[in-house]
Amino acid sequence: MSLALVIAIAGLVGFGVHLITARSLSRVVLGFALLGHGAVLALLGSGGPAGEPPLADRAPVGELANPLPQALALTAIVISFGLTLFLLALARRQHELTGDDLVEDDLEDRAISALAEAEALRGHHDD
Amino acid sequence: MPFLILFLHVVAAIAALALASRSRAVAVFVAAVAPAGAAVWGLVALLDPTTTRSSSFVWVEGLQLGFDFELSPIAALLTLAIGAIGTLIVIYAHGYFAHPEPTLGRFLATLTIFGASMLGLVWADSVWTLFLFWEATSVTSFLLVGHKNANANARIAARRALMITGAGGLVLLAGMMVLIDATGTHRLSEMAPTTGTTATIAAVLLLVAAATKSALVPAHVWLPGAMAAPTPVSAYLHSATMVKAGVILVAVVSPVLGGTDTFRVLSMTLGALTMFWGAIGALRQRDAKLILAWGTVSQLGFLVLLFGIGTAKATFAGVAVLAAHAVFKAGLFMVVGEVDVRTGTRDIDELGGLARSMPITATIAALCGLSMAGVPPLLGFPAKEAAVEAALGLAGTERLIIGGAIIAGSVLTVAYTTHFVLGVFGPSRNGTATTVSPGRAALMVPAAILACISILGWIFDGTTSKPITRAAAALNAKADVYQLINWPGATQAFFVSVAIVIVGAILGAARSRAQLRVPATIGANAADTALDQTLVLARRITARMQHGSLPVYVLTMAFVVAAVSIIFVQPALEAVGDMTVADSPGQLALALATVLAAWGCTQVDSRIGAALALGVVGLAVTGLFVVHGAPDLVLTQLLVETVIVVGFVIGLGRLRRSFPETGARWRQVRAAVAGLCAAGVAAALIAAEGAASSATAPPTERLVAEAVDEGGGNNIVNVILTDVRALDTFGEIVVLAVAALGVVALGRPALVTPKTPISPPTREEVRA
Repeated sequence: MSLALVIAIAGLVGFGVHLITARSLSRVVLGFALLGHGAVLALLGSGGPAGEPPLADRAPVGELANPLPQALALTAIVISFGLTLFLLALARRQHELTGDDLVEDDLEDRAISALAEAEALRGHHDD
Repeated sequence: MPFLILFLHVVAAIAALALASRSRAVAVFVAAVAPAGAAVWGLVALLDPTTTRSSSFVWVEGLQLGFDFELSPIAALLTLAIGAIGTLIVIYAHGYFAHPEPTLGRFLATLTIFGASMLGLVWADSVWTLFLFWEATSVTSFLLVGHKNANANARIAARRALMITGAGGLVLLAGMMVLIDATGTHRLSEMAPTTGTTATIAAVLLLVAAATKSALVPAHVWLPGAMAAPTPVSAYLHSATMVKAGVILVAVVSPVLGGTDTFRVLSMTLGALTMFWGAIGALRQRDAKLILAWGTVSQLGFLVLLFGIGTAKATFAGVAVLAAHAVFKAGLFMVVGEVDVRTGTRDIDELGGLARSMPITATIAALCGLSMAGVPPLLGFPAKEAAVEAALGLAGTERLIIGGAIIAGSVLTVAYTTHFVLGVFGPSRNGTATTVSPGRAALMVPAAILACISILGWIFDGTTSKPITRAAAALNAKADVYQLINWPGATQAFFVSVAIVIVGAILGAARSRAQLRVPATIGANAADTALDQTLVLARRITARMQHGSLPVYVLTMAFVVAAVSIIFVQPALEAVGDMTVADSPGQLALALATVLAAWGCTQVDSRIGAALALGVVGLAVTGLFVVHGAPDLVLTQLLVETVIVVGFVIGLGRLRRSFPETGARWRQVRAAVAGLCAAGVAAALIAAEGAASSATAPPTERLVAEAVDEGGGNNIVNVILTDVRALDTFGEIVVLAVAALGVVALGRPALVTPKTPISPPTREEVRA
């Protein structure tokens, strides 16, 4: 793997993480897409240096790029494609239901923390 | 046979549950058959002691997983006790519950399963089997104690019992694992006596476990509370079963661990303290059932003390008291239950004239009470004699301390027995006679049978003695010379016993006349408070950790990933010098373009702009594929990228143009963590590259040869996908199909559109 690929992957992961921690679901979708690109590039780069396309009749065997990670990366591309479209549909539905596409806090989790707060308050009153 | 009996119990439980609503008598009969079967098997084993009865079911070979049962002489004795008393309890329950009792089926089923758990516990020869059934008794006793589930006190008592015995179960597991380590076997019957540090740790852990189950100080607090259970439950759990489990554990491991000083000293100390505290507790009570409950605590301490001494005589006395206690304590609880049912109260201040209005019950109570006090002609007498003799048989300081403890404890036992019998059946404080409803045979007969056993056990002392001697000899080989003697004559121990009874009776009579207040509970509230505080703490931690914000969760995970990748920094710094900057100038340019476009994705404020920036990233990545030599990826990526940009425009077209504002500080934190993540990933990739450089070259030649010769194609990537990874590709198609279904379903207009946006509940709402 060359340094150029390392920079590209690190950049995609960094900006991807920044986006998936956003409140807006459409930003989260963007972040997932970037992380997907980073993963595919990492897979490809881990298989060795660049080379000729792995077509047996076009170039001598010694000059071909490693075909195995390419076969794996193909699957990764298609799956992240499916995931991105599904998340987009979710964002759209969220917008339809709430008027926005924000990631809401989990209601049950909030109820637990409210319970704990209420108990803490009660404890102070008892003192 | 053990499996057959356990199976019988399960079938009986299910049948009783199903039949109770249709025919009460049939349900009771079915529930009584199972324990009766166990009792018969125990009796057969006692009559024919030469046959070894063991059976195993191996589940996983070599992992010691499975069931191992062995009917040792002590297990046979306990099987008889558990089975016979269980049968009587079921009959008694028939009389105890008022006629239309909707929960009777549940009660009988739980009781039967509890009995099965108890049988499994005493038969267990493998520590794993023992642990399993130990836990089963904890769970089923929780259900039994909390049987009146509409009653808050019963629920609290059941929870307390479960928490204390459940915690003890965990300690038991730890202790058993240490014991396996110390002895090298998981079979209890194969364990050799052991000493040393490991044995000491095992001894402490196992005694703590026994203390929780057998209600030894200070874990005894659950037992008086468990009196909230229906009386048949108390009569069963606190005589022959549940609470005996800890004593049995102490008895079974005493041959193995008795050599360690810790085991002896700790068990004797726990036993003596519990004997005193229980007896004092019994004298403080004025609820007849609570007197018995505290008396049980005291007796359990007495038993643990006897097994802790470790001499042959003491072990023999321990087994004898164990058997006698099962018989008289079950009988006494049954008496209390009958008094409760027929008069409506258990307060000894309100009860009066019962000796005249309930003569048979009074006689039964007197017989069982005298057996508890250790007075002839009852089974409790020779057992107590053996204990006193065992104490007198010790030497030096031990004789003084243990002998003194046993004699003082026995005096207190006689005292609370007198307190109980006089309190319940003597005149009431104001001299009035309590109104008594008509008696029921089902309530009286089981108790009468137990009283008769106490007498017959004394008369035919030779017959009673045999199984007890054998059981004691199995624990301590030297015990086979001892036997129960119904009339010892003028021995030293006999005079001591006479003195015990006289002093105790005077004490008890004085106490039952003394003005009594309802005593404060000591310790039980502390246990409940500790439990509640733990729950509060758990909720506070949960509130902190599980605050409900998805972005914070994700950021926390990303931060952990970044933090862990610190370990790659050092190797990465070493490897970075050897790396090629780029495979070609084009690659470097495209990589920089990718990063730039990704940065653009995060910076663009409008949604459409962000979608376009994502498209640019996709194109740059496609370019990287081109220079890497991956035409298949190029084609796929171009296609996918087009659809995604179209999807963004369709999906987000109706949304606001720009993203909502976020706080500056939160953005900074996110940026920092994202930067750390990027650095961590870069370090990991470089380190991996450095580590891989020495590895062999990729097997391209072989892949090419096989693709051309066997796959029959020149495009190697395609051959791999269709030939080698056909199943994966199929899975991929399924994933896409499911995602497409989801997209279609989500894309259709919502059937119900809420007018107001869904929002988290306010604090007031949650509190309300």
